[in-house]
Amino acid sequence: MQPTENVLEIRDLVKDFPGVRAVDNVSFDIKRNTVHCLVGENGAGKSTLIKILTGVYDRTSGRILLNGEEYNPRNPRDAKQQGMSTLFQELNVVDQLTVEENLTLGMEDTTFGFTRKTDKINRMVGVLNSIEPSIKPRQLVSSLSVAQKQIVEISRAVAAESDIIIMDEPTAAISESEIARLFNIIKGLREKNVTVIYISHRLDEIFELGDYVTVLRDGKHIETKPVAEIQDRSELIKMMIGKTVFEQYTPREIDCPDTILEVKHLSNHRLNDISFDVSAGEIVGFYGLVGAGKTELARAIYGADNYEGEIVFKGQKLRPSPEKAIAAGIALVPEERRSQGLFTILTIRGNVPVMNMAKISRKGFINDATERKVTSEYVDKLKIATNSVEKEASKLSGGNQQKVVLSKCLFADADLLMLDEPTRGIDVGAKSEIYNLIRQLSREGKTIIIFSSELPEVMNICDSIYLMYDGNLKSTMRNGCDVNSESILHIVTGGE
Amino acid sequence: METSQMQKPLLGGKLSDESFITVFMVGVLIVVFGIACIFVPNFYKPQNMLNLITNNWYIIVLGIGITFVMITGNYDMSVGGNIALTGVLSVYFCQGVNVSQNPLANGLGLPYILAIGLALLCAMGVGAVNAFFIAKLKVPSIIVTLGTMMLARGAAQVITQGAQRNTSLPDAFGVLGSLGIPGTSIRLPVLVMIALIILAFIFEKKTVFARRIYLIGANPVAARLSGVNVGGYLTALYIVSGLLAGITGILLASEFEAGVSNRAMGYEFDALVIVLLGGISITGGFGSVLGMFVGAIILSVVTSAATGMLFSPDWQFTLKAIVTFIAILTQRFALDKRKG
Repeated sequence: MQPTENVLEIRDLVKDFPGVRAVDNVSFDIKRNTVHCLVGENGAGKSTLIKILTGVYDRTSGRILLNGEEYNPRNPRDAKQQGMSTLFQELNVVDQLTVEENLTLGMEDTTFGFTRKTDKINRMVGVLNSIEPSIKPRQLVSSLSVAQKQIVEISRAVAAESDIIIMDEPTAAISESEIARLFNIIKGLREKNVTVIYISHRLDEIFELGDYVTVLRDGKHIETKPVAEIQDRSELIKMMIGKTVFEQYTPREIDCPDTILEVKHLSNHRLNDISFDVSAGEIVGFYGLVGAGKTELARAIYGADNYEGEIVFKGQKLRPSPEKAIAAGIALVPEERRSQGLFTILTIRGNVPVMNMAKISRKGFINDATERKVTSEYVDKLKIATNSVEKEASKLSGGNQQKVVLSKCLFADADLLMLDEPTRGIDVGAKSEIYNLIRQLSREGKTIIIFSSELPEVMNICDSIYLMYDGNLKSTMRNGCDVNSESILHIVTGGE
Repeated sequence: METSQMQKPLLGGKLSDESFITVFMVGVLIVVFGIACIFVPNFYKPQNMLNLITNNWYIIVLGIGITFVMITGNYDMSVGGNIALTGVLSVYFCQGVNVSQNPLANGLGLPYILAIGLALLCAMGVGAVNAFFIAKLKVPSIIVTLGTMMLARGAAQVITQGAQRNTSLPDAFGVLGSLGIPGTSIRLPVLVMIALIILAFIFEKKTVFARRIYLIGANPVAARLSGVNVGGYLTALYIVSGLLAGITGILLASEFEAGVSNRAMGYEFDALVIVLLGGISITGGFGSVLGMFVGAIILSVVTSAATGMLFSPDWQFTLKAIVTFIAILTQRFALDKRKG
């Protein structure tokens, strides 16, 4: 293998889906032993490009050269063998197996079909150990947190010693301290003759990590240049969407005196005696690192999990069931949109009205025309990119899927809207659309609670910020000039 | 993006996948029917075509319940046993009290109406037992319903001492199964089947209830978080499936004027086959009653053509298997092709 300057050369790459050209004549090079960032809005073609590189999709036309040679992976396994490892956004670990078994999955050494203990396992475990010593090789993966599962996957990719490791939003679900650790590993990879293709919506990460950046928009290649030559975030954002996005918290003019939600001494397996009030019309942000108990709190309020204590909404004690919560006027946008929020095999029309069937039916019979009409309204209102309300939800990009889930919850006509990680894995453009929507809903008198592990998100739009750590509510504060991110980070990492 | 570059889905993409499968299976039906007409004399005659539907009323009635259960991503294997149990009970409840030395001739002496009412309640009870284990205790439905399948048949065998009950019945007993339109092969059970199919079709296309069944099958977690009472809907469906089996059991018992403990052996599998032929996804969230109906007729054409071609009855299962495989493979192929 002669060391060419470019580890990967992409030439005139095209990928068509029925009705959509997802990758449109893309050509660019990736230099050896660099961290090459790939950015673009949702639907820009990043995921499709990655799936072609990893052998999941066949290309429609075009050439790819890996180490100067034609690269045509037949399937993901083939791609891996040719030196292209991937860390996908959706977790790719087997819950029922141990950490050790997951690390060697698909690469086991066998004798007559029985797996053998070899040095490979020790090496893999060694890599894992250097990344996260607290994960034990014999632990079942199902007992790990989302962040820990991701670390197992990262270890697997690192241990495979590929030419290229593709990382699709590796930091979307892991905590700040783990991110710092991961970044150190990624930076170290450059010296180990590994090239990283890094995809992230967190632009700061690109400036911290990247050597080169390639911008895609609407399936087309916009630009590839060294990160050092890019002045700031807004230049990058301009390339991605062609317009500048401004995010700034403006303190609200009116006070909201009426209490709409009272949580009293809420406890369960992950929550520890949590009490707080929320005023009608307020935007409240719960901030904490992964594992702080934000999702568990959202689920408890919504009645999806059991709890001890009392939740009073609009003066009425809530009974713990999502059905009752929706009837009382609460809606939840869940943390994992594909597995908890969306009916992927149904159409957009099959998704949008499901939380408020009464509104599209009479005496239990659905009115098709009304259903179509309201779905179209939400497609327009939230700018869901689709040519038809009859499109299957699985065929939409991540951002548009999230908009479908949001539409679903908005259609429920709730007075209290809870959003768990509403912008995870979503590009800047769609993010600011969602923030504007949240502000507008708040102006219309809706109460919003956001559960987020992104501090800028909470600081940009929330009136009150509640900090969580390890199942406890540690601190509450009004957003404004006296709020500073350092003291917040101090609290959510366990400081007093 | 130019339209000319788009790959055109099969059938212009106007149809939903569900309608596509149904139309496709109608195509398969026409082909199978055509082949049968070539090889079997008189197969094309209207009377024979009518028989293809009327002879299978019981499988179609069961298929309605199974279709909706399967759209939630679950199975109901208990229907065959439930038919036997309900039939036997409907006899036992209205047989005379102490009329004979033979214990199989003695029953509870209830009026016939009350007897079938109670028998139907028991049929729904089997459904409720299914629902309790599946919805409440989260046991996989295939395991639970295989259990209740044997439980129901076992109970029927105990009550009939492993045989049947057919004596000291009231006169009204045989009426339901033999009533019919004079001069035709259309009897009351067939009319019941037609009425149920029409009801099920409207139910499926139009009601909020049905829509929620699809939601449960498409994603049970999201369904619950969207406010669907998943357990409640599953319970209702299993009770309805039990009720449909019960109605079938009562009609069959009436037709034969006997409660037979090994009645309806293997009907649960025939019902499963027609549901699969109809394109209903075993993973849930997809399928239609109309598809199931077409599947039932395909199976009916195959079995009756086999008889007509003087195949020995020993070949029935093999032929059913071949047709099932071919139909389901072509269905998958067509759907994949369409999705590109």
